[in-house]
Amino acid sequence: MNRLDYVVLVATILAIPLYGLWRTRGRETLGHYIKGDESIRWATIGLSVLATQAGPITFLSMPGQAYESGIGFVQNYFGQPFALITVCAVFVPIFQRLKVYTAYEYLGQRFDQKTRLLGAFLFLIQRGLAAGITLYAPAIILSALLGWRLNLTIWFAGGLVVAYTAFGGTKIVSITQRYQILIIFVGMALAFIIAVHRLPAGLSFGRALSVAGGMGKLQAIDFSLDPDRRYTFWSGIFGGFFLALSYFGADQSQVQRYLAGGSLTASRFGLLFNAVVKVPMQFLILLLGAMVFLFYQFEKPPIYFNRPAYDRAIALGHGAELNELQAEFDDVFARKRDLLNSSGVNSAFNRAKTSREGGSRQEILQLDARARELRDQVRTILERAGASPKSKDSDYVFITFILQHLPHGVVGLLIAVILCATMSATSATLNALGSTSAVDFYRPLIRPNAPDHHYVVATELLTIAWGVVAIGVASYASLVENLIEAGNILGSIFYGSILGLFLVAFFLRSVRGSAVFFAALLAQSLVLILFWTLNISYLWYNLIGCVAVLVFSLALQRTIFAKSSPA
Amino acid sequence: MKGTNPQSEPNGDSAPLFGSWPKAYCVALGIFAFEIVLFYAFTAIFS
Repeated sequence: MNRLDYVVLVATILAIPLYGLWRTRGRETLGHYIKGDESIRWATIGLSVLATQAGPITFLSMPGQAYESGIGFVQNYFGQPFALITVCAVFVPIFQRLKVYTAYEYLGQRFDQKTRLLGAFLFLIQRGLAAGITLYAPAIILSALLGWRLNLTIWFAGGLVVAYTAFGGTKIVSITQRYQILIIFVGMALAFIIAVHRLPAGLSFGRALSVAGGMGKLQAIDFSLDPDRRYTFWSGIFGGFFLALSYFGADQSQVQRYLAGGSLTASRFGLLFNAVVKVPMQFLILLLGAMVFLFYQFEKPPIYFNRPAYDRAIALGHGAELNELQAEFDDVFARKRDLLNSSGVNSAFNRAKTSREGGSRQEILQLDARARELRDQVRTILERAGASPKSKDSDYVFITFILQHLPHGVVGLLIAVILCATMSATSATLNALGSTSAVDFYRPLIRPNAPDHHYVVATELLTIAWGVVAIGVASYASLVENLIEAGNILGSIFYGSILGLFLVAFFLRSVRGSAVFFAALLAQSLVLILFWTLNISYLWYNLIGCVAVLVFSLALQRTIFAKSSPA
Repeated sequence: MKGTNPQSEPNGDSAPLFGSWPKAYCVALGIFAFEIVLFYAFTAIFS
């Protein structure tokens, strides 16, 4: 990065919060602080919902995911449109009609105070920890590759977010997210255009797609029913629906986004915007990763993208082994590139007409598989050397491409994209954590009848407190073995029980507060026990937690709490 | 849609542009179905 990059970076990440602060100047009521005002339109809500979900991991890891495994990951999002429509039809009208500040307030009105506090408590634990990981994940990657001090990166990004979020509340979160996501779109579009432009001159975009597809990177849809396949249309529709329903229906960091402005119409249009835009956006991000993969078929990639970890292994005395693998990797790359550069093979990836063309294609695929084996061997050596990185090597693919192959200025913009994504996701989370702490805990339990302004100040202070917690978690997140997985695991452990509370509230009208409260406690305990004893995919805990709350609450209501049923 | 007052939509069943919310949901699902068809065609052509 040179001076131009730093100017673009600093100007971008500071200008948006400063504009937001200017737009939200002046004192506000608690309602305005938590829900914004009527100037927040459906488009802002839609972009805000989009930005809240699209954290830094989306932009750092997704292209690397496509680089490694192709674009099939897009199927994970296929359940979202159905979930968003369910939230529009069922959740939003209830939240808007009751004019609640938080989703958990509704649990208090439907059941009782203890159930409301339980829902809010589970959310606070999960999101408080996840906010720290959202700050830490990009910081560890950027600091490793750019030589920035890790804690300084965390404190700078975290401090900036805490300051403007605490000051401006929901309105500033919505305004800044709108511009941050626009910067993200521009940056990713530029990266896409440059990646395609940097492909060899004779390779048209259509032919490039054929080559990437021929190398197994462009299978967007897989209707297979094989349970061993990681991403399929069916797992995306069913698993994705469930996960998205938990996230959009019961996570205050999203609920607060679409309740902003207070209009049912604006909330619904904002969510429907996401129902049609989210999947194509993920597709394009993954396609960018496939283009980066193709770029690295003609430009030699590093054998291991996480260069600092690789260098640590060399320093620890594994240089000879790594050099041997590097030499073979260089040879494999050169042979593969020569085959790809031959015009016959380009046509072979379109339609192999001759056995020679088909044979070349097979040879390319074999060389590609060998290159992957060599990378796996490097990772094994790194782990043996104790230089094991905290995230997958694929997380470093896109950032390496940015730093090594994009022009100055664009590099600064793309780093700003990653920090914008960090700030937008973190600000929404802190805003929700502060609001939930104030509305669901502080106001009813500590100061029930204070003036409105008192609660605004309390929410600001609680937002700052959660910011300090998030920065603290980020500072110690290096203790987590795989930090990116950790965020998803955390969500899966707690989301199921929280969603279960809401589904009981909406659909099991006979169940009362005590039954659902103890059912949720039992379900959460069950999930934690299973998490520590079983070795199953963490996504299952969403389903287990939710179904357990539904079943336990019905059982408890009909047995122990039968007397509290309505006559 | 700017500043829509929730009191003007007491039943929540009137969607600007679409007439009703169920119609709006159907349009969104229709667009999503079209996206799936495009992805399928993309996969069939290039994969």
